[in-house]
Amino acid sequence: MEGRFANLWRLTVNESKFVESALQSELRVDGRGLYDYRKLTIKFGKEYGSSEVQLGQTHVMGFVTAQLVQPYKDRPNEGSFSIFTEYSPMADPSFEPGHPGESAVELGRIIDRALRESRAVDTESLCVLAGKLVWSVRIDLHILDNGGNLVDAANIAALAALMTYRRPDCTVGGESSQEVIIHPPEEREPLPLIIHHLPIAFTFGFFNKGSILVMDPTYVEEAVMCGRMTVTVNANGDICAIQKPGEEGVNQSVVLHCLRLASSRAAATTKIIREAVEAYNRERSSQKVKRHHTLAKSEVSGPIVVVRKRQQQKKSSGQEKAAEIHFWLWLWWLIVTFWR
Amino acid sequence: MEIDREDGRTPNQLRPLACSRNILHRPHGSASWSQGDTKVLAAVYGPKAGTKKNENAEKACFEVIWKPKTGQIGKVEKEYEMIMKRTIQSICVLTVNPNTTTSVIIQVVHDDGSLLPCAINAACAALVDAGIPMKHLAVAICCCLADNGYVVLDPNKLEEKKMSAFAYLVFPNTTLSVLPEGSSVADGEPVEHGIITSVTHGVMSVDDYFLCVENGCAAAASLSAFFRKNFQQSQRDSSKAG
Repeated sequence: MEGRFANLWRLTVNESKFVESALQSELRVDGRGLYDYRKLTIKFGKEYGSSEVQLGQTHVMGFVTAQLVQPYKDRPNEGSFSIFTEYSPMADPSFEPGHPGESAVELGRIIDRALRESRAVDTESLCVLAGKLVWSVRIDLHILDNGGNLVDAANIAALAALMTYRRPDCTVGGESSQEVIIHPPEEREPLPLIIHHLPIAFTFGFFNKGSILVMDPTYVEEAVMCGRMTVTVNANGDICAIQKPGEEGVNQSVVLHCLRLASSRAAATTKIIREAVEAYNRERSSQKVKRHHTLAKSEVSGPIVVVRKRQQQKKSSGQEKAAEIHFWLWLWWLIVTFWR
Repeated sequence: MEIDREDGRTPNQLRPLACSRNILHRPHGSASWSQGDTKVLAAVYGPKAGTKKNENAEKACFEVIWKPKTGQIGKVEKEYEMIMKRTIQSICVLTVNPNTTTSVIIQVVHDDGSLLPCAINAACAALVDAGIPMKHLAVAICCCLADNGYVVLDPNKLEEKKMSAFAYLVFPNTTLSVLPEGSSVADGEPVEHGIITSVTHGVMSVDDYFLCVENGCAAAASLSAFFRKNFQQSQRDSSKAG
Protein backbone atom coordinates (compact mmCIF):
# COMPACT_ATOMS: atom_id res chain seq x y z
CA MET A 1 0.00 0.00 0.00
CA GLU A 2 1.75 3.11 -1.23
CA GLY A 3 -0.08 5.34 1.20
CA ARG A 4 1.62 3.66 4.14
CA PHE A 5 5.12 4.67 3.09
CA ALA A 6 4.17 8.29 3.40
CA ASN A 7 3.48 7.68 7.08
CA LEU A 8 6.72 6.11 8.33
CA TRP A 9 8.30 8.22 11.02
CA ARG A 10 11.81 9.22 10.09
CA LEU A 11 14.37 11.04 12.13
CA THR A 12 15.55 14.27 10.55
CA VAL A 13 19.26 14.88 9.87
CA ASN A 14 19.25 17.76 12.36
CA GLU A 15 17.89 15.58 15.14
CA SER A 16 20.36 12.75 14.55
CA LYS A 17 23.34 15.14 14.41
CA PHE A 18 22.14 16.78 17.61
CA VAL A 19 21.87 13.45 19.45
CA GLU A 20 25.32 12.37 18.28
CA SER A 21 27.10 15.61 19.13
CA ALA A 22 25.43 15.75 22.55
CA LEU A 23 26.68 12.22 23.24
CA GLN A 24 30.22 13.30 22.37
CA SER A 25 30.04 15.54 25.45
CA GLU A 26 28.38 12.71 27.45
CA LEU A 27 25.01 14.42 27.43
CA ARG A 28 21.77 12.66 26.59
CA VAL A 29 18.78 14.39 25.09
CA ASP A 30 16.50 13.70 28.07
CA GLY A 31 19.16 14.78 30.59
CA ARG A 32 20.04 11.32 31.92
CA GLY A 33 23.56 10.08 32.53
CA LEU A 34 24.96 7.57 30.02
CA TYR A 35 24.20 4.58 32.23
CA ASP A 36 21.00 5.81 33.87
CA TYR A 37 17.71 4.00 33.47
CA ARG A 38 14.35 5.68 33.16
CA LYS A 39 11.71 5.36 35.86
CA LEU A 40 10.36 1.83 36.16
CA THR A 41 6.81 1.20 37.41
CA ILE A 42 5.26 -2.26 37.68
CA LYS A 43 1.50 -2.61 38.07
CA PHE A 44 -0.72 -5.66 38.15
CA GLY A 45 -4.21 -6.32 36.84
CA LYS A 46 -7.28 -7.95 38.34
CA GLU A 47 -6.48 -11.46 37.22
CA TYR A 48 -3.55 -13.61 38.23
CA GLY A 49 -0.67 -13.29 35.85
CA SER A 50 -1.33 -9.91 34.27
CA SER A 51 1.29 -7.20 34.56
CA GLU A 52 1.76 -3.71 33.19
CA VAL A 53 5.28 -2.26 33.04
CA GLN A 54 6.22 1.32 32.26
CA LEU A 55 9.84 2.18 31.58
CA GLY A 56 9.79 5.93 30.96
CA GLN A 57 7.52 6.28 27.93
CA THR A 58 7.65 2.61 26.98
CA HIS A 59 4.54 0.71 28.00
CA VAL A 60 4.28 -3.10 27.88
CA MET A 61 1.61 -5.51 29.16
CA GLY A 62 2.13 -9.17 29.91
CA PHE A 63 -0.52 -11.90 30.34
CA VAL A 64 0.13 -15.46 31.44
CA THR A 65 -2.32 -18.33 30.81
CA ALA A 66 -1.92 -22.08 31.00
CA GLN A 67 -3.64 -25.12 29.63
CA LEU A 68 -3.23 -28.87 29.77
CA VAL A 69 -1.64 -30.44 26.71
CA GLN A 70 0.26 -33.53 25.71
CA PRO A 71 3.99 -33.23 26.40
CA TYR A 72 6.72 -33.44 23.78
CA LYS A 73 7.77 -37.01 23.08
CA ASP A 74 11.39 -36.44 24.08
CA ARG A 75 10.41 -34.72 27.34
CA PRO A 76 7.47 -36.61 28.81
CA ASN A 77 7.99 -35.30 32.32
CA GLU A 78 8.26 -31.62 31.61
CA GLY A 79 5.76 -28.89 30.95
CA SER A 80 6.45 -26.22 28.37
CA PHE A 81 6.09 -22.52 27.99
CA SER A 82 5.91 -20.29 24.95
CA ILE A 83 6.15 -16.55 24.44
CA PHE A 84 3.98 -14.64 21.99
CA THR A 85 4.93 -11.03 21.25
CA GLU A 86 2.44 -8.65 19.76
CA TYR A 87 3.80 -5.47 18.32
CA SER A 88 0.48 -3.66 18.49
CA PRO A 89 -0.02 -0.92 15.88
CA MET A 90 -0.87 1.19 18.94
CA ALA A 91 2.78 1.39 19.90
CA ASP A 92 4.29 2.84 16.77
CA PRO A 93 2.80 4.08 13.52
CA SER A 94 5.21 1.85 11.60
CA PHE A 95 4.03 -1.40 13.21
CA GLU A 96 1.75 -3.25 10.85
CA PRO A 97 -1.06 -5.45 12.13
CA GLY A 98 -0.90 -9.09 11.15
CA HIS A 99 1.87 -11.48 11.79
CA PRO A 100 4.91 -10.21 13.72
CA GLY A 101 7.89 -8.64 11.96
CA GLU A 102 11.58 -9.34 12.57
CA SER A 103 12.03 -7.21 15.66
CA ALA A 104 8.98 -8.76 17.34
CA VAL A 105 10.33 -12.23 16.68
CA GLU A 106 13.80 -11.21 17.91
CA LEU A 107 12.35 -9.78 21.11
CA GLY A 108 10.38 -12.95 21.76
CA ARG A 109 13.45 -15.10 21.12
CA ILE A 110 15.70 -13.12 23.48
CA ILE A 111 13.24 -13.42 26.35
CA ASP A 112 12.48 -17.05 25.54
CA ARG A 113 16.15 -18.03 25.46
CA ALA A 114 16.89 -16.32 28.76
CA LEU A 115 14.02 -18.09 30.53
CA ARG A 116 14.38 -21.50 28.90
CA GLU A 117 18.13 -22.12 28.69
CA SER A 118 18.81 -20.79 32.17
CA ARG A 119 15.95 -22.92 33.53
CA ALA A 120 14.45 -19.99 35.36
CA VAL A 121 10.94 -21.46 35.18
CA ASP A 122 10.76 -24.96 36.65
CA THR A 123 9.14 -27.13 33.99
CA GLU A 124 9.19 -30.44 35.88
CA SER A 125 6.71 -29.15 38.42
CA LEU A 126 4.30 -28.53 35.53
CA CYS A 127 3.93 -32.25 34.89
CA VAL A 128 0.57 -33.77 35.85
CA LEU A 129 0.57 -37.22 34.25
CA ALA A 130 3.94 -38.27 32.88
CA GLY A 131 3.70 -38.79 29.15
CA LYS A 132 0.04 -37.79 28.97
CA LEU A 133 -0.78 -34.38 30.39
CA VAL A 134 1.38 -31.45 31.30
CA TRP A 135 0.76 -27.74 31.78
CA SER A 136 1.72 -25.51 28.89
CA VAL A 137 2.24 -21.93 30.01
CA ARG A 138 1.65 -19.20 27.45
CA ILE A 139 3.03 -15.69 27.91
CA ASP A 140 1.49 -12.95 25.76
CA LEU A 141 3.40 -9.69 25.60
CA HIS A 142 1.57 -6.67 24.20
CA ILE A 143 3.68 -3.66 23.30
CA LEU A 144 1.45 -0.65 23.84
CA ASP A 145 3.79 2.30 23.52
CA ASN A 146 7.22 2.26 21.86
CA GLY A 147 9.35 4.75 23.75
CA GLY A 148 12.52 2.76 23.10
CA ASN A 149 14.19 -0.25 24.73
CA LEU A 150 11.30 -2.67 24.30
CA VAL A 151 13.40 -5.72 25.21
CA ASP A 152 14.08 -4.68 28.79
CA ALA A 153 10.52 -3.57 29.48
CA ALA A 154 9.01 -6.69 27.91
CA ASN A 155 11.38 -8.91 29.86
CA ILE A 156 10.35 -7.33 33.16
CA ALA A 157 6.67 -7.59 32.18
CA ALA A 158 7.09 -11.30 31.43
CA LEU A 159 8.87 -11.92 34.74
CA ALA A 160 6.33 -9.96 36.79
CA ALA A 161 3.43 -11.78 35.12
CA LEU A 162 5.06 -15.18 35.69
CA MET A 163 5.70 -14.44 39.34
CA THR A 164 2.09 -13.43 40.02
CA TYR A 165 0.47 -16.16 37.92
CA ARG A 166 -1.41 -18.94 39.74
CA ARG A 167 -2.32 -22.12 37.91
CA PRO A 168 -5.36 -24.18 38.91
CA ASP A 169 -4.73 -27.05 41.29
CA CYS A 170 -5.41 -30.47 39.81
CA THR A 171 -5.49 -33.96 41.25
CA VAL A 172 -5.10 -37.28 39.55
CA GLY A 173 -7.96 -39.57 40.44
CA GLY A 174 -10.67 -41.68 38.97
CA GLU A 175 -10.87 -45.43 38.71
CA SER A 176 -7.72 -46.10 36.74
CA SER A 177 -6.00 -43.06 38.29
CA GLN A 178 -5.75 -41.67 34.77
CA GLU A 179 -8.38 -38.96 35.15
CA VAL A 180 -7.29 -35.47 35.97
CA ILE A 181 -9.69 -33.24 37.86
CA ILE A 182 -8.99 -29.52 37.60
CA HIS A 183 -10.19 -27.68 40.69
CA PRO A 184 -11.74 -24.23 40.18
CA PRO A 185 -10.21 -21.41 42.27
CA GLU A 186 -13.25 -21.33 44.59
CA GLU A 187 -12.62 -24.93 45.61
CA ARG A 188 -8.88 -24.99 46.00
CA GLU A 189 -6.26 -22.26 46.05
CA PRO A 190 -4.43 -22.00 42.73
CA LEU A 191 -0.68 -22.62 42.87
CA PRO A 192 2.15 -20.30 41.89
CA LEU A 193 4.78 -21.30 39.35
CA ILE A 194 8.20 -22.24 40.67
CA ILE A 195 10.72 -19.69 39.48
CA HIS A 196 14.32 -20.27 40.48
CA HIS A 197 15.84 -16.94 39.55
CA LEU A 198 15.02 -13.82 37.58
CA PRO A 199 17.02 -13.23 34.39
CA ILE A 200 16.93 -9.50 33.67
CA ALA A 201 17.79 -8.02 30.28
CA PHE A 202 19.88 -4.87 29.85
CA THR A 203 20.18 -3.23 26.47
CA PHE A 204 23.14 -1.15 25.37
CA GLY A 205 23.35 1.21 22.42
CA PHE A 206 26.63 1.96 20.62
CA PHE A 207 27.40 5.26 18.96
CA ASN A 208 30.32 6.73 17.06
CA LYS A 209 31.72 3.43 15.81
CA GLY A 210 31.41 1.72 19.19
CA SER A 211 33.29 4.23 21.29
CA ILE A 212 30.26 5.68 23.09
CA LEU A 213 28.07 3.37 25.15
CA VAL A 214 24.55 4.12 26.38
CA MET A 215 22.10 2.13 28.53
CA ASP A 216 18.32 2.13 28.03
CA PRO A 217 18.11 4.01 24.72
CA THR A 218 14.95 5.95 23.85
CA TYR A 219 13.33 5.54 20.44
CA VAL A 220 15.11 8.64 19.14
CA GLU A 221 18.48 7.25 20.24
CA GLU A 222 17.60 3.85 18.75
CA ALA A 223 17.09 5.46 15.36
CA VAL A 224 20.56 7.07 15.58
CA MET A 225 22.68 4.32 17.14
CA CYS A 226 25.02 2.22 15.04
CA GLY A 227 24.88 -1.01 17.06
CA ARG A 228 23.14 -2.66 20.00
CA MET A 229 23.69 -5.45 22.49
CA THR A 230 21.38 -7.07 25.00
CA VAL A 231 22.83 -8.83 28.05
CA THR A 232 20.62 -10.94 30.30
CA VAL A 233 21.99 -11.52 33.80
CA ASN A 234 20.51 -12.55 37.11
CA ALA A 235 21.18 -11.37 40.65
CA ASN A 236 23.54 -14.30 41.32
CA GLY A 237 25.97 -12.96 38.74
CA ASP A 238 25.16 -15.58 36.08
CA ILE A 239 25.04 -14.50 32.47
CA CYS A 240 21.92 -16.06 30.98
CA ALA A 241 22.10 -14.73 27.43
CA ILE A 242 23.96 -12.24 25.27
CA GLN A 243 22.52 -10.98 22.00
CA LYS A 244 24.49 -8.83 19.57
CA PRO A 245 22.77 -8.91 16.19
CA GLY A 246 25.46 -7.78 13.78
CA GLU A 247 25.89 -4.10 12.91
CA GLU A 248 28.96 -2.18 14.08
CA GLY A 249 31.75 -4.28 15.58
CA VAL A 250 32.87 -3.44 19.10
CA ASN A 251 36.02 -4.14 21.05
CA GLN A 252 36.19 -7.01 23.55
CA SER A 253 36.93 -4.57 26.36
CA VAL A 254 33.69 -2.76 25.60
CA VAL A 255 31.74 -6.02 25.77
CA LEU A 256 33.30 -6.87 29.15
CA HIS A 257 32.52 -3.37 30.37
CA CYS A 258 28.86 -3.91 29.38
CA LEU A 259 28.76 -7.22 31.26
CA ARG A 260 30.13 -5.58 34.37
CA LEU A 261 27.61 -2.74 34.16
CA ALA A 262 24.75 -5.17 33.70
CA SER A 263 25.67 -7.41 36.62
CA SER A 264 26.09 -4.42 38.93
CA ARG A 265 22.49 -3.32 38.16
CA ALA A 266 20.88 -6.76 38.24
CA ALA A 267 20.50 -6.90 42.02
CA ALA A 268 18.74 -3.53 42.21
CA THR A 269 16.23 -4.35 39.45
CA THR A 270 15.54 -7.80 40.92
CA LYS A 271 14.75 -6.12 44.22
CA ILE A 272 12.29 -3.72 42.55
CA ILE A 273 10.45 -6.59 40.87
CA ARG A 274 10.28 -8.72 44.00
CA GLU A 275 9.04 -5.83 46.11
CA ALA A 276 6.30 -5.01 43.62
CA VAL A 277 5.21 -8.67 43.51
CA GLU A 278 5.18 -8.94 47.30
CA ALA A 279 3.12 -5.77 47.68
CA TYR A 280 0.62 -7.16 45.15
CA ASN A 281 0.42 -10.51 46.93
CA ARG A 282 -0.17 -8.85 50.27
CA GLU A 283 -2.98 -6.74 48.82
CA ARG A 284 -4.51 -9.79 47.18
CA SER A 285 -4.51 -11.83 50.39
CA SER A 286 -5.97 -8.97 52.43
CA GLN A 287 -8.80 -8.70 49.88
CA LYS A 288 -9.52 -12.40 50.28
CA VAL A 289 -9.81 -12.04 54.05
CA LYS A 290 -12.38 -9.28 53.57
CA ARG A 291 -14.39 -11.56 51.29
CA HIS A 292 -14.87 -14.13 54.03
CA HIS A 293 -16.33 -11.59 56.43
CA THR A 294 -18.87 -9.91 54.15
CA LEU A 295 -21.57 -11.78 52.30
CA ALA A 296 -19.83 -11.57 48.89
CA LYS A 297 -21.65 -8.35 48.04
CA SER A 298 -19.10 -5.65 47.35
CA GLU A 299 -19.96 -1.99 47.61
CA VAL A 300 -20.50 -1.25 43.96
CA SER A 301 -21.40 2.37 43.47
CA GLY A 302 -22.11 3.11 39.86
CA PRO A 303 -24.48 5.61 38.35
CA ILE A 304 -28.12 4.70 38.73
CA VAL A 305 -30.15 5.18 35.61
CA VAL A 306 -33.56 6.77 35.97
CA VAL A 307 -35.98 5.39 33.42
CA ARG A 308 -38.95 7.57 32.64
CA LYS A 309 -42.14 6.31 34.18
CA ARG A 310 -44.25 6.30 31.00
CA GLN A 311 -44.54 2.55 30.87
CA GLN A 312 -45.44 2.27 34.53
CA GLN A 313 -48.18 4.88 34.11
CA LYS A 314 -49.64 2.87 31.26
CA LYS A 315 -49.68 -0.19 33.47
CA SER A 316 -51.33 1.67 36.37
CA SER A 317 -54.04 3.21 34.17
CA GLY A 318 -54.84 -0.27 32.92
CA GLN A 319 -55.10 -1.50 36.48
CA GLU A 320 -57.34 1.40 37.38
CA LYS A 321 -59.67 0.64 34.50
CA ALA A 322 -59.87 -2.98 35.57
CA ALA A 323 -60.62 -1.93 39.15
CA GLU A 324 -63.40 0.34 37.91
CA ILE A 325 -64.99 -2.43 35.90
CA HIS A 326 -64.80 -4.71 38.91
CA PHE A 327 -66.55 -2.05 41.04
CA TRP A 328 -69.45 -1.63 38.64
CA LEU A 329 -69.89 -5.36 38.27
CA TRP A 330 -70.02 -5.72 42.05
CA LEU A 331 -72.53 -2.91 42.35
CA TRP A 332 -74.74 -4.45 39.67
CA TRP A 333 -74.56 -7.85 41.43
CA LEU A 334 -75.48 -6.15 44.72
CA ILE A 335 -78.50 -4.45 43.20
CA VAL A 336 -79.63 -7.64 41.51
CA THR A 337 -79.35 -9.73 44.72
CA PHE A 338 -81.13 -7.15 46.91
CA TRP A 339 -83.91 -6.72 44.39
CA ARG A 340 -84.76 -10.37 44.82
CA MET B 1 -40.51 -7.92 41.89
CA GLU B 2 -36.89 -6.91 41.78
CA ILE B 3 -34.04 -9.03 40.55
CA ASP B 4 -31.29 -9.88 42.96
CA ARG B 5 -27.95 -9.17 41.30
CA GLU B 6 -24.87 -10.84 42.68
CA ASP B 7 -22.91 -7.68 43.32
CA GLY B 8 -25.82 -5.90 44.99
CA ARG B 9 -26.69 -3.53 42.15
CA THR B 10 -30.24 -2.62 41.18
CA PRO B 11 -31.28 -3.63 37.64
CA ASN B 12 -30.85 -0.05 36.46
CA GLN B 13 -27.49 0.57 38.07
CA LEU B 14 -24.30 0.68 36.01
CA ARG B 15 -20.91 -0.39 37.28
CA PRO B 16 -18.46 2.31 38.40
CA LEU B 17 -17.10 4.10 35.32
CA ALA B 18 -13.54 5.34 34.93
CA CYS B 19 -12.00 7.11 31.96
CA SER B 20 -8.52 8.51 31.54
CA ARG B 21 -7.19 10.10 28.38
CA ASN B 22 -3.74 10.82 26.96
CA ILE B 23 -2.12 7.86 28.68
CA LEU B 24 0.17 6.78 25.81
CA HIS B 25 2.84 8.97 24.22
CA ARG B 26 3.28 7.77 20.63
CA PRO B 27 -0.38 7.65 19.51
CA HIS B 28 -2.05 10.93 18.67
CA GLY B 29 -4.95 10.15 20.98
CA SER B 30 -5.40 7.48 23.61
CA ALA B 31 -7.91 6.62 26.28
CA SER B 32 -8.64 3.86 28.73
CA TRP B 33 -12.24 3.14 29.69
CA SER B 34 -13.33 0.79 32.44
CA GLN B 35 -16.78 -0.29 33.54
CA GLY B 36 -16.32 -2.22 36.75
CA ASP B 37 -13.69 -4.84 35.95
CA THR B 38 -13.98 -4.62 32.16
CA LYS B 39 -11.14 -2.45 30.92
CA VAL B 40 -10.31 -1.46 27.34
CA LEU B 41 -7.47 0.65 25.98
CA ALA B 42 -7.97 2.62 22.75
CA ALA B 43 -5.41 4.50 20.66
CA VAL B 44 -5.92 6.67 17.61
CA TYR B 45 -3.43 7.58 14.92
CA GLY B 46 -4.65 10.68 13.18
CA PRO B 47 -5.29 11.14 9.51
CA LYS B 48 -2.63 9.41 7.44
CA ALA B 49 -2.33 9.99 3.73
CA GLY B 50 -4.07 7.58 1.40
CA THR B 51 -7.00 5.22 1.64
CA LYS B 52 -7.30 1.50 1.02
CA LYS B 53 -8.24 0.15 -2.40
CA ASN B 54 -11.97 -0.39 -1.94
CA GLU B 55 -12.62 2.76 0.04
CA ASN B 56 -14.13 5.96 -1.27
CA ALA B 57 -11.26 8.39 -1.85
CA GLU B 58 -13.55 11.41 -1.55
CA LYS B 59 -14.17 10.78 2.13
CA ALA B 60 -12.09 10.11 5.21
CA CYS B 61 -11.64 6.42 5.91
CA PHE B 62 -11.42 4.69 9.29
CA GLU B 63 -9.83 1.39 10.14
CA VAL B 64 -10.26 -0.43 13.41
CA ILE B 65 -7.81 -3.01 14.72
CA TRP B 66 -9.06 -5.14 17.61
CA LYS B 67 -6.43 -6.84 19.75
CA PRO B 68 -7.72 -9.53 22.12
CA LYS B 69 -5.98 -10.24 25.40
CA THR B 70 -4.64 -13.66 24.39
CA GLY B 71 -5.06 -15.91 21.42
CA GLN B 72 -5.34 -15.51 17.71
CA ILE B 73 -7.56 -13.04 15.94
CA GLY B 74 -10.67 -14.90 14.82
CA LYS B 75 -14.12 -14.22 13.44
CA VAL B 76 -15.43 -12.62 16.64
CA GLU B 77 -12.69 -10.01 16.57
CA LYS B 78 -13.28 -9.32 12.87
CA GLU B 79 -16.97 -8.81 13.56
CA TYR B 80 -16.23 -6.36 16.37
CA GLU B 81 -13.86 -4.48 14.06
CA MET B 82 -16.55 -4.19 11.40
CA ILE B 83 -19.22 -3.01 13.88
CA MET B 84 -16.92 -0.42 15.40
CA LYS B 85 -15.79 0.83 12.00
CA ARG B 86 -19.37 1.43 10.87
CA THR B 87 -20.24 3.10 14.19
CA ILE B 88 -17.24 5.43 14.06
CA GLN B 89 -17.92 6.26 10.41
CA SER B 90 -21.41 7.42 11.31
CA ILE B 91 -20.31 9.74 14.12
CA CYS B 92 -17.28 11.34 12.49
CA VAL B 93 -17.36 14.11 9.93
CA LEU B 94 -16.09 12.37 6.82
CA THR B 95 -15.82 15.35 4.53
CA VAL B 96 -13.19 17.31 6.48
CA ASN B 97 -10.12 15.23 5.58
CA PRO B 98 -10.83 13.38 2.34
CA ASN B 99 -8.50 10.65 1.12
CA THR B 100 -7.05 9.94 4.55
CA THR B 101 -7.08 6.93 6.87
CA THR B 102 -7.48 7.22 10.61
CA SER B 103 -6.61 4.10 12.62
CA VAL B 104 -8.29 3.17 15.84
CA ILE B 105 -6.59 0.38 17.78
CA ILE B 106 -8.43 -1.38 20.60
CA GLN B 107 -6.62 -3.48 23.17
CA VAL B 108 -8.65 -5.59 25.57
CA VAL B 109 -7.10 -5.44 29.03
CA HIS B 110 -9.77 -7.37 30.92
CA ASP B 111 -13.13 -8.75 29.85
CA ASP B 112 -15.81 -8.97 32.52
CA GLY B 113 -18.92 -8.59 30.38
CA SER B 114 -20.21 -5.78 28.17
CA LEU B 115 -16.96 -5.67 26.20
CA LEU B 116 -18.09 -4.12 22.90
CA PRO B 117 -19.90 -1.15 24.53
CA CYS B 118 -16.84 -0.52 26.66
CA ALA B 119 -14.65 -0.54 23.55
CA ILE B 120 -16.92 1.88 21.69
CA ASN B 121 -16.87 4.30 24.63
CA ALA B 122 -13.09 4.04 24.84
CA ALA B 123 -12.76 4.67 21.11
CA CYS B 124 -14.93 7.79 21.41
CA ALA B 125 -12.79 9.15 24.23
CA ALA B 126 -9.61 8.44 22.25
CA LEU B 127 -11.03 10.16 19.14
CA VAL B 128 -11.80 13.23 21.27
CA ASP B 129 -8.26 13.12 22.67
CA ALA B 130 -6.83 12.99 19.15
CA GLY B 131 -9.00 15.88 18.00
CA ILE B 132 -10.76 14.03 15.17
CA PRO B 133 -13.79 16.09 14.08
CA MET B 134 -17.04 14.38 15.14
CA LYS B 135 -20.72 15.25 14.91
CA HIS B 136 -21.50 13.84 18.36
CA LEU B 137 -20.26 11.07 20.62
CA ALA B 138 -21.42 7.48 20.50
CA VAL B 139 -22.55 6.24 23.88
CA ALA B 140 -22.82 2.47 24.18
CA ILE B 141 -24.62 0.32 26.72
CA CYS B 142 -25.44 -3.35 27.11
CA CYS B 143 -29.01 -4.26 28.11
CA CYS B 144 -29.92 -7.81 28.83
CA LEU B 145 -33.20 -9.54 29.34
CA ALA B 146 -33.72 -11.77 32.33
CA ASP B 147 -36.09 -14.73 32.29
CA ASN B 148 -38.90 -12.89 34.06
CA GLY B 149 -38.96 -10.09 31.50
CA TYR B 150 -36.94 -7.56 33.44
CA VAL B 151 -34.27 -5.50 31.73
CA VAL B 152 -30.89 -5.46 33.43
CA LEU B 153 -28.27 -2.88 32.48
CA ASP B 154 -24.51 -3.38 32.19
CA PRO B 155 -24.18 -7.08 33.08
CA ASN B 156 -20.92 -8.65 34.10
CA LYS B 157 -19.64 -11.86 32.50
CA LEU B 158 -21.55 -14.27 34.73
CA GLU B 159 -24.81 -12.38 34.26
CA GLU B 160 -24.34 -12.28 30.47
CA LYS B 161 -24.05 -16.06 30.41
CA LYS B 162 -27.18 -16.57 32.49
CA MET B 163 -29.43 -14.15 30.61
CA SER B 164 -31.71 -15.36 27.84
CA ALA B 165 -30.86 -12.49 25.49
CA PHE B 166 -28.88 -9.28 25.48
CA ALA B 167 -28.44 -6.30 23.20
CA TYR B 168 -25.56 -3.89 22.70
CA LEU B 169 -27.06 -0.48 21.93
CA VAL B 170 -25.24 2.64 20.82
CA PHE B 171 -26.93 6.03 21.00
CA PRO B 172 -25.76 9.53 20.16
CA ASN B 173 -24.98 11.46 23.29
CA THR B 174 -27.68 13.68 24.73
CA THR B 175 -27.35 17.39 24.18
CA LEU B 176 -27.11 19.83 27.03
CA SER B 177 -29.24 22.85 26.33
CA VAL B 178 -28.41 26.34 27.64
CA LEU B 179 -32.02 27.00 28.64
CA PRO B 180 -33.03 25.09 31.77
CA GLU B 181 -36.33 24.01 30.22
CA GLY B 182 -34.66 22.58 27.15
CA SER B 183 -32.63 20.00 29.04
CA SER B 184 -35.51 18.49 31.00
CA VAL B 185 -37.14 15.38 29.64
CA ALA B 186 -40.34 15.53 31.63
CA ASP B 187 -42.63 15.91 28.63
CA GLY B 188 -41.89 14.96 25.07
CA GLU B 189 -38.93 13.01 23.85
CA PRO B 190 -35.36 14.31 23.79
CA VAL B 191 -34.37 15.46 20.33
CA GLU B 192 -31.80 12.78 19.56
CA HIS B 193 -32.94 9.35 20.53
CA GLY B 194 -32.04 7.44 17.38
CA ILE B 195 -30.09 4.24 17.66
CA ILE B 196 -26.74 4.28 15.89
CA THR B 197 -25.92 0.60 16.34
CA SER B 198 -27.76 -2.37 17.76
CA VAL B 199 -26.33 -5.88 18.12
CA THR B 200 -28.46 -8.56 19.71
CA HIS B 201 -27.70 -12.04 20.96
CA GLY B 202 -30.37 -14.56 21.77
CA VAL B 203 -34.09 -14.41 21.20
CA MET B 204 -36.31 -11.64 22.54
CA SER B 205 -39.80 -10.43 21.65
CA VAL B 206 -40.37 -7.11 19.92
CA ASP B 207 -41.85 -5.52 23.07
CA ASP B 208 -38.90 -6.65 25.14
CA TYR B 209 -36.55 -5.17 22.57
CA PHE B 210 -38.29 -1.81 22.75
CA LEU B 211 -38.18 -1.98 26.53
CA CYS B 212 -34.41 -2.53 26.28
CA VAL B 213 -34.12 0.44 23.94
CA GLU B 214 -35.97 2.68 26.37
CA ASN B 215 -33.80 1.64 29.28
CA GLY B 216 -30.71 1.97 27.13
CA CYS B 217 -31.73 5.48 26.09
CA ALA B 218 -32.04 6.52 29.72
CA ALA B 219 -28.66 4.97 30.46
CA ALA B 220 -27.16 6.90 27.54
CA ALA B 221 -28.20 10.10 29.31
CA SER B 222 -26.24 9.24 32.45
CA LEU B 223 -23.26 8.01 30.41
CA SER B 224 -23.30 11.27 28.40
CA ALA B 225 -23.26 13.19 31.68
CA PHE B 226 -20.23 11.17 32.77
CA PHE B 227 -18.44 11.84 29.46
CA ARG B 228 -19.15 15.55 29.74
CA LYS B 229 -17.97 15.80 33.34
CA ASN B 230 -14.83 13.82 32.57
CA PHE B 231 -13.87 15.93 29.55
CA GLN B 232 -14.59 19.22 31.32
CA GLN B 233 -12.54 18.18 34.32
CA SER B 234 -9.50 17.27 32.25
CA GLN B 235 -9.86 20.50 30.29
CA ARG B 236 -9.85 22.47 33.54
CA ASP B 237 -6.79 20.51 34.78
CA SER B 238 -4.86 21.12 31.58
CA SER B 239 -5.74 24.83 31.53
CA LYS B 240 -4.53 25.16 35.11
CA ALA B 241 -1.26 23.43 34.21
CA GLY B 242 -0.72 25.31 30.93
